[in-house]
Amino acid sequence: MVKALLTALLLLAALAPGARAEALVARLSAERIAVTTAFTGESLLVFGSTEEPIGPGGDEILVVARGPTAPFVVRRKVRVLGLWLNGPSARFEEVPGFYAILGSRAAWRLLPEAVRQERGLGLDALPLAASGARGPAFRAALLELKREAGLWQEEAGEVEIAGARLFSARIPLPSTVPAGAYSVEVYLVRSRRIVATEFLGFEVARTGTAARIEALARGAPALYGLLCVVLAALAGWLGSVVFRRG
Amino acid sequence: MQIYLPIAEMSVDALLLVGLGFLVGWLSGLFGVGGGFLLTPLLILIGVPPAVAVASGANQTLGASVSGLIAQARRANVDWPMGAVLVAGGLAGSLAGVQLFALLRRLGQLDAAVALSYVVILGVVGALMVMESLRALLRRRRALPARMHQHGWAHGLPFKMRFRKSRLYMSALPPLAIGFGIGVLSAIMGVGGGFMLVPAMIYLLGMPTAVVIGTSLLHIVCVTAAVTFLQAVQLGAVDIVLTLLLLLGGVAGAQLGVAMGGRLRGEETRALLGLLVLAVAALLLWNLIAPPEEPFSVERAPW
Repeated sequence: MVKALLTALLLLAALAPGARAEALVARLSAERIAVTTAFTGESLLVFGSTEEPIGPGGDEILVVARGPTAPFVVRRKVRVLGLWLNGPSARFEEVPGFYAILGSRAAWRLLPEAVRQERGLGLDALPLAASGARGPAFRAALLELKREAGLWQEEAGEVEIAGARLFSARIPLPSTVPAGAYSVEVYLVRSRRIVATEFLGFEVARTGTAARIEALARGAPALYGLLCVVLAALAGWLGSVVFRRG
Repeated sequence: MQIYLPIAEMSVDALLLVGLGFLVGWLSGLFGVGGGFLLTPLLILIGVPPAVAVASGANQTLGASVSGLIAQARRANVDWPMGAVLVAGGLAGSLAGVQLFALLRRLGQLDAAVALSYVVILGVVGALMVMESLRALLRRRRALPARMHQHGWAHGLPFKMRFRKSRLYMSALPPLAIGFGIGVLSAIMGVGGGFMLVPAMIYLLGMPTAVVIGTSLLHIVCVTAAVTFLQAVQLGAVDIVLTLLLLLGGVAGAQLGVAMGGRLRGEETRALLGLLVLAVAALLLWNLIAPPEEPFSVERAPW
C-alpha cells in the first residue's frame, strides 16, 4: 500500500503541469476488487490533487463511496408466550450494500443541510424509504447493524493531506462487501459550496471457484442440486473406503 | 485457514468446519445415529444462516449415510418393498416440508420455527431415551419383555401389502404416513430423522431389528437427496463447500466412533445419547426464551 501511494504521488507529480487547469483530479488505486475464496477484506485508496491549497484555512475534500443497492428487511423480536419471535418488520427498498463517507472534516460542518440531504452525504442523509412497520427505531437499527458490520462508515478526518495540494483517503472494504458496481464521488468544497466534483467507479467481483459455484447455483439450480447430491454421496462413499483401509 | 462459503456468503475457518464434522461424525459412529440433529444446531450457533445450515445439513447427512446403506444392502439387510413405501411417503413429505420452509422464510419466522421444532422433537426423543434406558438399567438382569407387535390398530386399514423380509402383512398406509412425517422433519430440520424413524419402525410397524437399520438408511439417503435437490432449486440454500468440508471430517470421525463404540454397553450408550440430545434441546430453548441482546435483525429481502 505504501508502494501504491508512492506510485500515486509520482504519477500526480508527472501529471501536475498538464492538470494545472483542473480544480480537482482524483483516481482510485484499483478499478476491480477480486473476491476470491480466501478474501478477508481489502482497502481501496482514493487519491488526487487540487489546484488551490487544501486543509486548514483552505478548501476541503469529501469522499463518498456507495455500493450496489438491494431491498432489506429489518425485524424486531417480540415476546410471544415466553418466546422471542420476529414481530413487526420494516422493508427498506434501495439500501446501499456499502456506504462510506470520509472528509477532511465532517460533512455536516462542510456543507449546508439542504445540500447534504439532496446528495445523500452522511448516514443521516441516506434516502431510506421504509414500508411496513413505522417508527424511527427500525431505521436506527438498520444503521446500527450496518455500521457494526463495517458496511456503512462515517468517519471524519480520514482524508490525509500532504503539501496542501495532495490528498489521499483509504476506504476499508470488509470481507462481506456485496459484489457489484460501486461509485466514488470526490467533492471539493470551498466556503460551504461544492466547487468541483470527480465521479469515479470500481467493481467488486467474485472470482475463482466460489464465484463459479455461486453462478451455477443461481443460473442452473436444478443442475447444481443434482451435483450436490452426487458429490455428497461420492464423497461419503469415497471417504469411508479411504478411512476404513487406513 | 479462512475459506469463503459461496452460498452462506460468509468467511469461516475451514479447520473449524472439518473439526465440527469430525466431532459430529465421531458421536454418530459412537452412538449409531446420523448426527444431523447435532450438526444443524451447531452450524446455526457458529453463525451459518439457518436456511443454509438446514439445507447443507441434509446434504451432509446424505453423504454420511451412503456408505452405511451400501454395507447394509450388501448384507441383504434392506427390506426394499417396505423401503419403497416409506420413501414414497418421505418424498411427498420432503416436498411439503420444503414448501412449509419457504413459507416460514417469507414470514420471517424460519429461525424460530427451526429452533422450536428442534426443542420439541429433541426434548421428547431425549426424554424418552433417558427414561427407556434408566428403566432398562434398573432391571438389567431380568429377561426382556416380549416385543409388542402392534397388530391391532393397523389391521382395519386398506391397501394391505406383503413385506416378506420384515415378515409382515400390513396396510401400506402406516409406513407411508411415517415416511411422510419424517420427510417433513427432514426438510425443516436438515436431519435424516433416523433417531425417530428407527423407533417408529420397531414399535409402530413391528419390523424385525435386523432389517430396521438398512431400511431406515435407504429412507434417509433417498429423502435427504430429495431435500437437498428441492432446497437447492427452490431456495438456493445448499452450500456444497460447507457440505464437503463437514463430510471430510465426518467420515473420519465416524470410523473412529464406530471403533470406540464397541466398548460401550447398550443401555449406558442410550442414556448418554439421550442426555446429549436433551442438552442440545435445552441450549436451543434457552436461546429462544432468553431476552435477545439485539432485538433487531437485518436481512436481504428474500422476495
